[in-house]
Amino acid sequence: MKVHVDMSICLLHGQCVIAAPEVFSFDDDGGLVWVKEIGEDLRADTEAAADACPEQAIVLEG
Amino acid sequence: MTETAAPLADAPYLDVADPAFSIRSQAVKDARAQSWYARTPYGIAVLRYDEVQKLLRHPKLRQGSHLWPQHNGVTTGKFATWWCNMLLCQEGETHGRLRRMANPAFSPKLIADLQPKFQALANRLIDQFAAKGECDFIADFTEPYATGVICDLLGLPFEKWRELADIAADMGLALGVTFKQDLPKIEAAIARLFAYAEELVADRRAHPSADFVGMLVKANTENKDQLSDQELLDMIVLAIFGGIDTTRNQIGLAMDMFVQNPDQWALLAERPDLAKAAVEEVMRTRPTVTWVTRAATETFTFNGLEIAEGTTLHLYGQTAATDPAVMPDAERFDITAERKPHFGFGGGAHHCLGHFIARGDMTEALKLLASRLKNPRFAAPVEWLPDSGNTGAIRMPLAFDPA
Repeated sequence: MKVHVDMSICLLHGQCVIAAPEVFSFDDDGGLVWVKEIGEDLRADTEAAADACPEQAIVLEG
Repeated sequence: MTETAAPLADAPYLDVADPAFSIRSQAVKDARAQSWYARTPYGIAVLRYDEVQKLLRHPKLRQGSHLWPQHNGVTTGKFATWWCNMLLCQEGETHGRLRRMANPAFSPKLIADLQPKFQALANRLIDQFAAKGECDFIADFTEPYATGVICDLLGLPFEKWRELADIAADMGLALGVTFKQDLPKIEAAIARLFAYAEELVADRRAHPSADFVGMLVKANTENKDQLSDQELLDMIVLAIFGGIDTTRNQIGLAMDMFVQNPDQWALLAERPDLAKAAVEEVMRTRPTVTWVTRAATETFTFNGLEIAEGTTLHLYGQTAATDPAVMPDAERFDITAERKPHFGFGGGAHHCLGHFIARGDMTEALKLLASRLKNPRFAAPVEWLPDSGNTGAIRMPLAFDPA
């Protein structure tokens, strides 16, 4: 599954970091970093992150 | 432009404790033009857009409500125990775990199913007063609507709304300055609310369902390490308490904005597709949550200002989102304008959990109200809560022309 984040609407609330900490995290400067392609084991968490994003900025493909 | 912040003592002072203080006053606007922060009797007020946005999610700040009962001399009892253990007052790992458990019950996917219920509820309430051409907009619409939405979520019959609204109102006394004096009433209210929650949980254990309570019960049944029996009840109590006053107040504030801007109300009636944007514009210009609270977990420097460990910060979302320095015509109420995001649902780890539901129910309410109530105006002066903290109307005598 491919993971995209629309950084033009992301407000860095970090709800995805809470929902799927193995996929999304903050770097030392507070920017969002994420795993761009994930395996089946992380699908449920990643879908939960996309669902929980207050700005609905996460797009999943596949 | 880089700016070196002045030392704290030179910052403007806002007397927030004065009952006449208004967050929409010229004094607050002047302070915002002068400095990104101000001093207040409660700590530091943050006034500008970029600073509010950054501090909402700053890793050295935690949500600031956890000490509230203690500040009021309340350290024991059902309310203080619930308050200190519930989601909003938790941080880090525990907060993350509870939030992960709660998220599915508040998913945006649930909104489509709820929409027809929101519409039926709004129409049912409007039917009761539409022909008269007048109502008390709070008692006759926003309060039963906000509470009715909660009844729908919990699977309770609409007739329960009055009882739930009364419980929430009594519990709400805990957020006011008379918290300690009102404690017996608050304790009685929260005991009743927990009894409700226990009944709902017992029902869903016997009859599993995919509704709001059913999903929380499922999370608890599948893994008690992730959501204990007590945490399950605490979460249901939070959802009920957190959903009633906020929505009641916010829809009343929406009507205030539209009464002041009749052209926008007429436009919304013509173009119901603008209702979603109208909710955002109302929450930008006239949010019920005018500020959110944070506390520094360690000493740090931000924009040249040293913020000492333990300092309370109030992030003035309303002031920040109406800052003319960051958006053109910031004070104009325009439901067609493209705006930067507002802070009406807070932000960061503690971003409002119920915002998809709140946005959905307020959108449907505004759509139907605009189509059925023409030329709304105040029939008598509106009675308001203080214009700071969590604000709203207590009574709003409204006259209108039935459509």
